[in-house]
Amino acid sequence: MIIIIRTGESMHIPDAFIPLPQAALYWVIALIFIALSLRWARKELTEDRIPLVAILAAGIFAIQAINIPIPWGTSGHMMGAALAAIVLGSPFAAVFILTLVLIVQGVMFGDGGLTVMGANILNMGVIGGFVGFYSYRAIYPILRNIYPAAFIAGWLSLFIAALVTAVEMAIAGTFPLELGLLSMGLYHAIIGIIEGGITAVAIYLIHTARPDIISEPAGVPS
Amino acid sequence: MNRKTFLFVGIVVALFIAAMAPFIASSNPDGLESAFFGIFGAKEIQGSTLDEEHAEVAEEHVTDITGNDFSFASPFPDYTIEGLAKFGETIAIILGTLLVLVIALGVAKMVQRTE
Repeated sequence: MIIIIRTGESMHIPDAFIPLPQAALYWVIALIFIALSLRWARKELTEDRIPLVAILAAGIFAIQAINIPIPWGTSGHMMGAALAAIVLGSPFAAVFILTLVLIVQGVMFGDGGLTVMGANILNMGVIGGFVGFYSYRAIYPILRNIYPAAFIAGWLSLFIAALVTAVEMAIAGTFPLELGLLSMGLYHAIIGIIEGGITAVAIYLIHTARPDIISEPAGVPS
Repeated sequence: MNRKTFLFVGIVVALFIAAMAPFIASSNPDGLESAFFGIFGAKEIQGSTLDEEHAEVAEEHVTDITGNDFSFASPFPDYTIEGLAKFGETIAIILGTLLVLVIALGVAKMVQRTE
């Protein structure tokens, strides 16, 4: 029993946390977004961008394995959805990449459940990607600087995804709503600093190496 | 930086992160687990000690609540390789990183061809 749950990493929901009918519903929602992300890939993945997508996917997988300690005997890691969405200029890029990462994590390493993988794709890929992308688009014109905008977008993407997870846990009957929101919010407000920081640094590095492949200025049409 | 160099440097960076991961990663429960243990009384929400006995009870309790007892034996559970300690974790995460890289390249090429 202990193995089933301990193998989960950060926001990865283990099977035992969601009843099967609800897990199936999250899978249906996730599959719709996966189909849309494949359509995005067909339209937007030019020969020039394929290496970037592959590197982002591999890098996000690797960095998700690093749990960084935060206070209260807890740890957390990067999610990477905001990074993928901002760099590739679409929230569907995050859905595409996070889905691949979550499939490999779940199937090969037991990290995140299989019946609940739809929920994990929904939270990290869809919510993370959309919140990251659109908050970046809203914040960038105000700050007129890529890096603080990316930091805030990264923080928000993780924080909101954590709150959505808490709501799902409440629907599942696993967490009481208020206490779930409070504890998930508390931990992920801190973990979000890691998310925002790495998002900004990674965008800087990619921008320095290949200024041409990031949609100018990094996700915002000029 | 041209495309080939960029791909090469990117892969090296990803593999470097993968190789380092087992040595720098914290084994503390993560955000979701910590919230779970806090709510189920195995840990204070803002405390740092986990009561292992309570944790086990909590894990059985949650399965009773949701009725989802699905379990699946993954080949490398929790990024470990049987019989190998830290070194096994490094290999597992490097393998995973390469696998994600290959699948991403493969899927990207495949959807392009269906155009």
